[in-house]
Amino acid sequence: MSRALGDTLAILQRELLRYRRDRAYWVGQIAFPLAVVAFIGFGLNDVVRLPTGADYLGHLASGILALLVGSAGVGGGMTLIQDRESGFLRALLVAPVSRTSLVLGKLLARALASVALVALLVALLAVFTPVGIPHPAAALLAVVAITVAFVALGVVLGTWLRSVEAYRLLAGLVTVPLYLLSGIFYPVSTLPAATRWLSYANPLTYGVDLFRYGLLGVNEFPVAVSASLLGVLTLASTIGAVVAFDRGLRE
Amino acid sequence: MDASATTQPAAIRVEGLAKRYRAVVALDGLDLSVEQGAFYGLLGPNGAGKTTTVSVLATLARPDAGRVQVAGHDVVSEQAEVRRAIGIVFQEPSLDRELTAREHLDLQGRLYHLDDRRRRTGEALERVGLAADADRPVRGFSGGMKRRLEIARGLLHRPRVLFLDEPTLGLDVNARAGIWEQLRELHAAGGTTVFLTTHSMDEADALCERIGILDAGRLVAEGAPEALKSALGGDVVEIGFEQPDGCAAAELLARIEGVLSVTREPEAARLRITVRDGSRRLAALLEAVRPHVVSEVALHRPDLEHVFLHHTGHPFEPERLGGGG
Repeated sequence: MSRALGDTLAILQRELLRYRRDRAYWVGQIAFPLAVVAFIGFGLNDVVRLPTGADYLGHLASGILALLVGSAGVGGGMTLIQDRESGFLRALLVAPVSRTSLVLGKLLARALASVALVALLVALLAVFTPVGIPHPAAALLAVVAITVAFVALGVVLGTWLRSVEAYRLLAGLVTVPLYLLSGIFYPVSTLPAATRWLSYANPLTYGVDLFRYGLLGVNEFPVAVSASLLGVLTLASTIGAVVAFDRGLRE
Repeated sequence: MDASATTQPAAIRVEGLAKRYRAVVALDGLDLSVEQGAFYGLLGPNGAGKTTTVSVLATLARPDAGRVQVAGHDVVSEQAEVRRAIGIVFQEPSLDRELTAREHLDLQGRLYHLDDRRRRTGEALERVGLAADADRPVRGFSGGMKRRLEIARGLLHRPRVLFLDEPTLGLDVNARAGIWEQLRELHAAGGTTVFLTTHSMDEADALCERIGILDAGRLVAEGAPEALKSALGGDVVEIGFEQPDGCAAAELLARIEGVLSVTREPEAARLRITVRDGSRRLAALLEAVRPHVVSEVALHRPDLEHVFLHHTGHPFEPERLGGGG
């Protein structure tokens, strides 16, 4: 057990080293939400009125951060393809390390990187938007759950696909509808009945809602329901990623 | 197989190994055995199945049929034990461009649970001459430096069996000589069984105590390089002609005393004759082909290329015919 933990930490450290050195990634991930809030949020703030009467700026800012966490997760899944292309994956696969440790290391690394990114951005956005961190545990669970689910999705795609281009395309096709139906840009309750049901079926909806509860103290669904759903989602995604990784990489 | 082989289990034992990728048969009933501490070379042209063999031996590909044991463990049912016992240097690069040399070795040390990984990392970097570049990302390394790092990584945990898949492919002459030197030192130090694949005759000849010749997924010959060459029992004479029709002289030549075999290479307008006491019979051979205009004549001891030709009936690399060494 302690061996498996040590292996997971070794993989985790390697992934974090890579993330830390990827300066372009950090610049992009920090600049993008700030630009969206500054260029779109302020403009829409006076035009859009939420049914709750709350400020649209906070809704959008928290939504964009959730979007960022999701896309970071998709990027985390893509590292599997990058590792395959560089050949590094083979060096890992031939080492006496369980597939579970390899996958958990990847999942944890991206989750940690996203928690750090969100903390930094919340601190910046708190200056000029209503975003804060009234419920840190809820925000943390939401970030971890969204990350793990999207990295897992990436691992599943990554075991099938051989090129980064194909991965980007397919991941976009799968994730964009999930984003649009998750309440990132407008509350789910404002959607027409037909699409509202799709939103209810979208696990990301509960992630975004719990995340927003964490950052704004505002929620559409009961916190307990979202939290339990996300707990189950995290567990299922982790298992799914391990199984897909193990099966997909057999020759 | 001598008596010691029965008390000491072979480092590698392969029986009836078959592996196909969709419709392509990569290995077709491969049998081989490598003793502990040996320096074994698997020689074959591109596509012969060398990399597939290494992939199966290193637990990265599952055999379709056959039994494969490495370091006394089955590669299918005892993967973890096999992985702990082996080191591997892949043909294609397998480094993370963003990590430094030291970080690669440190990760390796952690994954193999080495208590003294810091010391070993330092020693390994020193040994392969990368100490000065240890903290630079691999992105800026030359091909030779990368290969040396891969070798250092493959050896860090002191594996009982080291696999090297085309270790000098794509390297320049100096880098290649450096790697040969390191492999010789490693083997001289004893203990590690080295299993190397190569499509370079020179490499197999220069490094390996025993070689197996692989062609189309089967082992066609096996033995010490010298033994394989002298088993051909003669010298090789190559006669090149101005016109391809010179090859018609083959039948005449075959009747000359001492001639063991004659192979036609019509595309190159050349005959390759295996003959006893080549230097004494050269005049007779040339006399026999006289109506045809001879453009070149070469006489040499058989090399591994001739061994390959003899056992497979086709040249090793068709485009490089008759280089002779």
